[in-house]
Amino acid sequence: MAQLVLRNLVKRYGATEVLHGINLDVADGEFVVFVGPSGCGKSTTLRMIAGLEEVSDGVIEIGGREVNHLEPKERDIAMVFQNYAIYPHMSVKKNIAFGLRSSKMSKPDKDKRIQEVAAILGMTDLLERKPNQLSGGQRQRVAIGRAMVRDPAVFLFDEPLSNLDAQLRTQMRLEIKKLHQRVGNTIVFVTHDQVEAMTMADRIVIMKDGHIQQVGTPDEVYHKPANTFVARFIGAPSMNMLDAELSEGRVIMPEGLSFPMGPTAEARSGRITLGVRPDDLVPRETDALIQGKVTVREPLGAETLIYVDTPGGEIVAKADGRNPPSVGEQVRLGADPDNLHVFDRETGMVVR
Amino acid sequence: MPFYRNLSIRQKQIAWAWAFLAVPVLFYVIIRFYPTGNAIMISFQNWNLLGDRTWAGLENYQKLVADPVFWKVFKNTFLYLIIGTPISLVLSFIIAYQLDKVRFMHGTLRMLYFLPFMTSAVAMAWVWRWFYQPVPTGLFNNLLAQVGISQIEFLNSTSYALPSVLAPAVWAGLGFQIIIFMAGLRAIPVSYYEAARIDGVGWWTVLTQITIPLLRPTIVFIVVFSSIGFLRIFDHVYNMTTNNPGGPLNSTKPLVLMIYGTAFDDFDMGYAAAQTVVLFLILLIVSLIQLRLLRSE
Repeated sequence: MAQLVLRNLVKRYGATEVLHGINLDVADGEFVVFVGPSGCGKSTTLRMIAGLEEVSDGVIEIGGREVNHLEPKERDIAMVFQNYAIYPHMSVKKNIAFGLRSSKMSKPDKDKRIQEVAAILGMTDLLERKPNQLSGGQRQRVAIGRAMVRDPAVFLFDEPLSNLDAQLRTQMRLEIKKLHQRVGNTIVFVTHDQVEAMTMADRIVIMKDGHIQQVGTPDEVYHKPANTFVARFIGAPSMNMLDAELSEGRVIMPEGLSFPMGPTAEARSGRITLGVRPDDLVPRETDALIQGKVTVREPLGAETLIYVDTPGGEIVAKADGRNPPSVGEQVRLGADPDNLHVFDRETGMVVR
Repeated sequence: MPFYRNLSIRQKQIAWAWAFLAVPVLFYVIIRFYPTGNAIMISFQNWNLLGDRTWAGLENYQKLVADPVFWKVFKNTFLYLIIGTPISLVLSFIIAYQLDKVRFMHGTLRMLYFLPFMTSAVAMAWVWRWFYQPVPTGLFNNLLAQVGISQIEFLNSTSYALPSVLAPAVWAGLGFQIIIFMAGLRAIPVSYYEAARIDGVGWWTVLTQITIPLLRPTIVFIVVFSSIGFLRIFDHVYNMTTNNPGGPLNSTKPLVLMIYGTAFDDFDMGYAAAQTVVLFLILLIVSLIQLRLLRSE
């Protein structure tokens, strides 16, 4: 029993409200990733769950128990910090043991627990080392080890991979995911990197300016973004946004190009923003959405990204890797209507 | 300058480095190293400042070892060190540790603690000297009298005089040490404390297991720095005991004051130089031992 529930969570610093009522249910054993640009409130939310920040309003429940006024140590949580917070003057073993310092376990039990954790993390040989003798990835593992020994109900990760180089980040991403599958504790993970969010999460919480924008599985937030912010934030390169009109099931582009929206389109009209992922936008002759001149090519091997200068601004599309259009060439770009996202231009909310 | 142009980049860098170093090097050689060498030389000679220098060999050192005043002074100097250093270390740490948590009037408080460090030691010594006077002048004795405790002859007692002289010296150095400690405390990442809060350890464990070990370089610096200060104590003692410098009965006399007396009251330059060499060796040895003991593995 370790669900985590956030009810109308509000955080104020003086008169400034930075979190405007967060609601979220995290199931037992679920891996939830908070993602958003800096200043969106994701770290603040995490620190409130940890008990490092006071709750201004609302309720936090861990395992069915309200923890608003409990000290961090009483909340049955453990946290991994961005800078790891491992003590440079202690050996790996002592660092991991620090997590058990306040526990009432007997010493042999503690030692056994430390050995277990070290074995899971593959650090049995490193226990006597000092942190400055470890690589970045190993330090990261010590930080995780210190959180793991306590076997908490909820693990909190505060951007733990941002200090690692790209290759190590990919590797640790995988390790954390495997670890989660193995130990099965509830995890709340904060990151600003949407790739981390997509690859690790059971569910992603996308935040902006202290509001939750969307909560969903990686699949849902990628394929069914709730608004233009989520649409742009998730996926790389970002989704192209084109101004268009919707009129009786047909999308009409400013240059006069038009195409059918497909059978699912609502029979409504109005000014819309048409979202199309670069992956779905390919050169084609018929039913083109937009046309323009290729300005830059980015060969990625199997495919080539082409940057196309159109009257509506620069957009990115995908072309075949073997035979891409050359720079300066006029291309017509189109997409399968099923892969188009239609947003209200005023509110940015998805229309279908 | 074809010569300069033909130098390699490395040689040019060296040429510039020496160009900039020349002035301080010259300063050190003339103002520091030459007199130091000269003092060592004089310590093997007899000289009264006016007459000729005559060779004395180890005579001055033999006289020093046989001089009971020297051993009294030697003991006093170490008393200043072993009482003053720990007290000022603990006090400055406690104040810095608490001050670090205070937000209200933080700057003002810090300034108040730093003020004595900027004050002239002579002025401070005289004010404290008045504090120690008997009723009705002295602050402390007035306070004692009010609660009905008999008078204490702070500066005229052979047992109280040394701690009484030491107190303002500790107080004067505190401001500087507090500033250094606070800088050290600020340098410890907040997440270390947050991680400890989540692990649920008490403040004592945090203090002894995290804060103090991480302050080790700061502590080493302050210990060495304040030890050198206490081993060289002079102006507080001299100004608080001017009628009888180092008195009563040499009970407050530190080595530097003995050197001063030998040199400028007795004009026995050779003997004073020998004492100076001994002081230099003490400073060197104490600093080296402290660095060795406190250096982290």
